Amino acid sequence: MGTLQAVTLAILLLPAAGATVLGMGAFRLPRRAVQLIGPGVVWLAFLCVLVLFADSLSQAKAHDFTYWTWVQSGSFQVPANLYVDRLTVFMGLVITGVGGLIVTYAVGYMEHETDGSYARFFCYMDLFILSMLLLVLAGNLVFLIIGWAAVGLSSYLLIGFYYWRYSAVVAARKAFVMNVIGDVGLILAAFAIFASFRQVTYSGVFASVPHSDGFALELIGFLLLVGGIAKSAQVPLHTWLPDAMEGPTPVSALIHAATMVTAGVYLIARMHPIYDVAVFSHYTAAGIGALSALLAGCIAMVQTDIKRVLAYSTMSQIGYMFLAVGIGAYGAGLFHLLAHAFFKALLFMSAGSVIHAMHDEQDMRKFGGLWRDMRVTSVCFLIGSLSLVGVFPFVGFFSKELVLGDAFSDPNGGGFPQVLWVIGFLTALLTGFYTGRMWWIAFWRPPSPERPVEHPHEAPRVMMVPVVILTVLTCVGGLLQINAGFHPGWKLVEEFLAPAVGPLGWEARGIEYLVTAATFLLGLFTFWLAYYFYIQPRFSVWSARVPRLQQLLEHKFYFDEVYDALFVRPLDRAARGGDRWLEQPVLEGTPEEVGVVATSSAAALSLTENGYFRAYMLVFLGGALAGAALLLAYRVFA
Amino acid sequence: MPDYGQFQSAGGTLDTRWFLLVASILFVLGAIGVLVRRNPIVILVCIELMLNAVNLTLIAFSRQLNNLEGQLFALMTMVVAASEAVVGLAVLVDIFHFRDVEDVDELNELRG
Repeated sequence: MGTLQAVTLAILLLPAAGATVLGMGAFRLPRRAVQLIGPGVVWLAFLCVLVLFADSLSQAKAHDFTYWTWVQSGSFQVPANLYVDRLTVFMGLVITGVGGLIVTYAVGYMEHETDGSYARFFCYMDLFILSMLLLVLAGNLVFLIIGWAAVGLSSYLLIGFYYWRYSAVVAARKAFVMNVIGDVGLILAAFAIFASFRQVTYSGVFASVPHSDGFALELIGFLLLVGGIAKSAQVPLHTWLPDAMEGPTPVSALIHAATMVTAGVYLIARMHPIYDVAVFSHYTAAGIGALSALLAGCIAMVQTDIKRVLAYSTMSQIGYMFLAVGIGAYGAGLFHLLAHAFFKALLFMSAGSVIHAMHDEQDMRKFGGLWRDMRVTSVCFLIGSLSLVGVFPFVGFFSKELVLGDAFSDPNGGGFPQVLWVIGFLTALLTGFYTGRMWWIAFWRPPSPERPVEHPHEAPRVMMVPVVILTVLTCVGGLLQINAGFHPGWKLVEEFLAPAVGPLGWEARGIEYLVTAATFLLGLFTFWLAYYFYIQPRFSVWSARVPRLQQLLEHKFYFDEVYDALFVRPLDRAARGGDRWLEQPVLEGTPEEVGVVATSSAAALSLTENGYFRAYMLVFLGGALAGAALLLAYRVFA
Repeated sequence: MPDYGQFQSAGGTLDTRWFLLVASILFVLGAIGVLVRRNPIVILVCIELMLNAVNLTLIAFSRQLNNLEGQLFALMTMVVAASEAVVGLAVLVDIFHFRDVEDVDELNELRG
């Protein structure tokens, strides 16, 4: 086994070991050990990924490490292999790098938990990192499915971390069910791939894509997309993400902003040889992304829970990523993924610091005055917000402009990418508005009379340092890829990823300057406009004037209600019917009857056990005599 | 080879029927004792009586049929009877450790 091969395996084994140790020793390990092991294994995995990164910088070739043959059954053969190309390395850096910062932050955030819960939390976090790394390192579809499902499981465990809270348990269950819908899509896609190619390894599948028929590829593309939209919370399988905010805030930052929800984007980028041919499913991905971006942006404008605003903005930003990878601009989509991991983790973690200081209050209308009391956190949050809006020079500006610019200048698709660009542009304006609303209300406004804490304290250093590091990354991350703003600037991210996902198929055009300026300035304008809506009431609150629209948005376009009426309640009723007509009379009744027969016959038989020794002996002798008599009779008469 | 077929005595040979008569009297006595007596030790003694009645029939038939197996089997029965007596008496001694039992019917905790 070569060094690189061993290092790749170590990336998986380190978090696995961490999760195992923490899980087995939850109540015995001292807190200090938990604080070391939990984030420690993630950072060690990060070092291993850095080794792979150094290797991938020196050469662009992909590695396909086969460790052993896992399944061998007729023509179905699954090697235990890990696939390492630049896309894997890129995702691995995001997962372990940003993940390491977030797990470190959690050391401070979770400090009020009991020892058992504390260790349990880090056990789950390491389990999540392991699953996510397996998802991106997988070299065949079976490993991909295992990683994919394990990610859903650890997300379920972490959303339901406060298992004594009813709402958390319900939210965890909802997330799990929605994710399983996606898992089924992915598994069916794997079946379809095996049926058409007789292969399950990436290298084998992609080699046979060019000689296969279009319909099968479209089918595979759509099935993969079902998996992708469920995991990435895109319309119409998005309803679990806002509820998932029941989990602890570091979980929201790690899973529901930086890594897990981007798995769908990764999937499309990884399967790009299929999507490059399957045009319909490819553009469907882009359309769903744009639609999700717009809908989530609308809903975010009326939310009052600070984490829910962030959740909807996450959904909206992932919509941008889907838009980009859906039109074939993989570099742009993945760069936005990286940028989003920086600034959304930053936003969630500074929001977490605020929630921590506010004794778990999440309603931002009850905050206010944080600019005065928590200056550092406020500055970090402002930088994250501006990056989310897409303001120069933060990383969000470069990535969002790249996505929108690529959509604007895409010559293929007969104008469809330009329609998507319009939607993306409108969403950018909404983003400015709801982000501004959140910032002005929660941080700038004078303290609310309902504020739970008179003198909030800044977070401890272990929480502050990761936040500051992410702030710095948000400020300088744009330097990786400046060609969106300064055409033709360097484009390190796109060039790094090009060997894995292919270069952009068209030349970006010059008119983008104007478009870039318009998007960025109008986004900033709506951010500033929110000030006049919520702080200086120069305009009355817009939503009061259109109560119908407000109602529609507050009910999140009635997705939950429709799903309730279509699936939840009919199934509930069917379950009740089954309980009444099948479970109680048949399944429960039958064993009960058997029991009744057994006890009543036992009661009758127990009369013979009367406790008189001579009675037993009489029966015994009688039996022996009868036996002897039978034997004699047989001898005499037969 | 010695002749085991006939019981050698001064007056001639004894018929097998006499042995069987004695054995059945012993067996019935034992059986009645097991059924009507209450003292556990006496019951054990009666069981031994029944076992020995059976031994007697085995040996009697062994002699009549000129076959050693009956005697061998009687030896085995004696071994089993000895073990049974050991176990039975040990159980009784253990019971007497914590309670005085004059009547086996007092040991009726497992009745239905």
